[in-house]
Amino acid sequence: MFSLFLQDAWKVLLYSLVLGAGLPVVYALGVRALAIGSAGTDAPAGAAVVRRHPVGTALATVCFLVVLAGVAVGLTYVIASGQGKMLSFEHVYPTLVPKS
Amino acid sequence: MSAQLITVILVVVVALGFDFTNGFHDTGNAMATSIATGALKPKVAVALAAVLNLVGAFLSVEVAVTVTNAVVSIQDSSGNPIPSLTADHGSALLLIILAGLVGGIMWNLATWLLGLPSSSSHALFGGLIGATVTGIGWGGVHWTGDATKLDGVVGKVILPALASPVVAAFVAMVGTWVIFKITARLGDRFNDGGFRWGQIGTASLVSLAHGTNDAQKTMGVITLALIGYGSWTDTTSIPLWVKFSCAAAIALGTYLGGWRIIRTLGKGIVEIEPRQGMAAQGSAAAVILASSQLGFALSTTHVATGSILGSGLGKPGAHVRWRVAGRMVVAWVITLPMAGLVGAACWWIGDVAGGGLTGAAAMVVVLLVASALMFVRSRREPINSDNVNDDWPEPSSVLAPGEPVAV
Repeated sequence: MFSLFLQDAWKVLLYSLVLGAGLPVVYALGVRALAIGSAGTDAPAGAAVVRRHPVGTALATVCFLVVLAGVAVGLTYVIASGQGKMLSFEHVYPTLVPKS
Repeated sequence: MSAQLITVILVVVVALGFDFTNGFHDTGNAMATSIATGALKPKVAVALAAVLNLVGAFLSVEVAVTVTNAVVSIQDSSGNPIPSLTADHGSALLLIILAGLVGGIMWNLATWLLGLPSSSSHALFGGLIGATVTGIGWGGVHWTGDATKLDGVVGKVILPALASPVVAAFVAMVGTWVIFKITARLGDRFNDGGFRWGQIGTASLVSLAHGTNDAQKTMGVITLALIGYGSWTDTTSIPLWVKFSCAAAIALGTYLGGWRIIRTLGKGIVEIEPRQGMAAQGSAAAVILASSQLGFALSTTHVATGSILGSGLGKPGAHVRWRVAGRMVVAWVITLPMAGLVGAACWWIGDVAGGGLTGAAAMVVVLLVASALMFVRSRREPINSDNVNDDWPEPSSVLAPGEPVAV
């Protein structure tokens, strides 16, 4: 039983690292890109002209969309599991299947 | 009104009482970080958590009638109570369930009084195990599963309790560390304002997942009691009124706030800033969802507290209050056996009082007296939405050690 347990715990750790640390990190990248986009605090002190970087804003948008997609998958999971369904990733993109 | 009917009503009311304590005991798991960083005003945070718990409780149509099977053998695999307990409108079964619930509530209240975030699921399971040991014997407890799956007290309660806080802490630590690297050069405008929504979003996910998981447990226990009594026979569905009342009880409890525990989680373990709050709740949400996807049972409390600790470990130069963390770990370890002892003692009191309605009434009286004492004690140092974020005194005087508490 102990090896079963280690297998499960290992998988939980792996999934959680990707989603639980990965998505917040993407969010942080988004915030950083946003800062670059609005040339806020990344501008050196005393800079006369504060320029805006549209690329930064665009990157930030992409990051936040990735995070939103991750949250949407999480929400779908919570709702689906309540209805006796679960997410399957066998087609790479998530699909709903009846709980095994 | 027959004695058995009154007994089953008492069981239902006490079960809803447990669900209520489950709510306020766990508000902090989702909302403590958002309250501590000011991302949400305290009252708004608990209201949001309450609504999400209510929604969560209704989202799930999965049937949790067999919830007790994880730890004790008072029902068979289809959900029906075992026949030896169902004589006389299931009075033996009702006594075990009631004693278990009373044990769970009393332990929840005691840890709340001390501001310790212990697991409500462990309190419930511990109470049921204790009541089963005295009521049926050691053989009535489902200790381990077979070689093919993780089951029983060891596989579904003890091993996950050891692993999940460590996993959650590690994930939160990694997340916090990387986030701080990425955002090191940004000013407060981005590091506080920018992470506010991330914090609220992740905290909301944790709240919702809590509602879907925890309300189910009480629904299952009440339905089991009704089946034992004989007023419900279907093991594939839960009566609608049970669903409504459990959802309402956990939401009301959540709204009440459990400020003592929120304070410990938000201010006691580490000083939290928004970036850490987001890392902590993101880790907690991911571990909870990944575990239930993989069928790995765990306690929301262990995951959330582990994550908050991890967010302190990951922040460069952060100061973790190990005394507080240590007390918390002790609470995790002793919750199951202590709730078990209280559950066992309650069953014994009920049995000495003659079982049946008098036994049940005796247990309820014990519960009411103990709860009243603990409530009165809590008024001596009230913690509420106004002082929940006050600076943590060093060394801790809120969690005064060695205070006598009525358990």
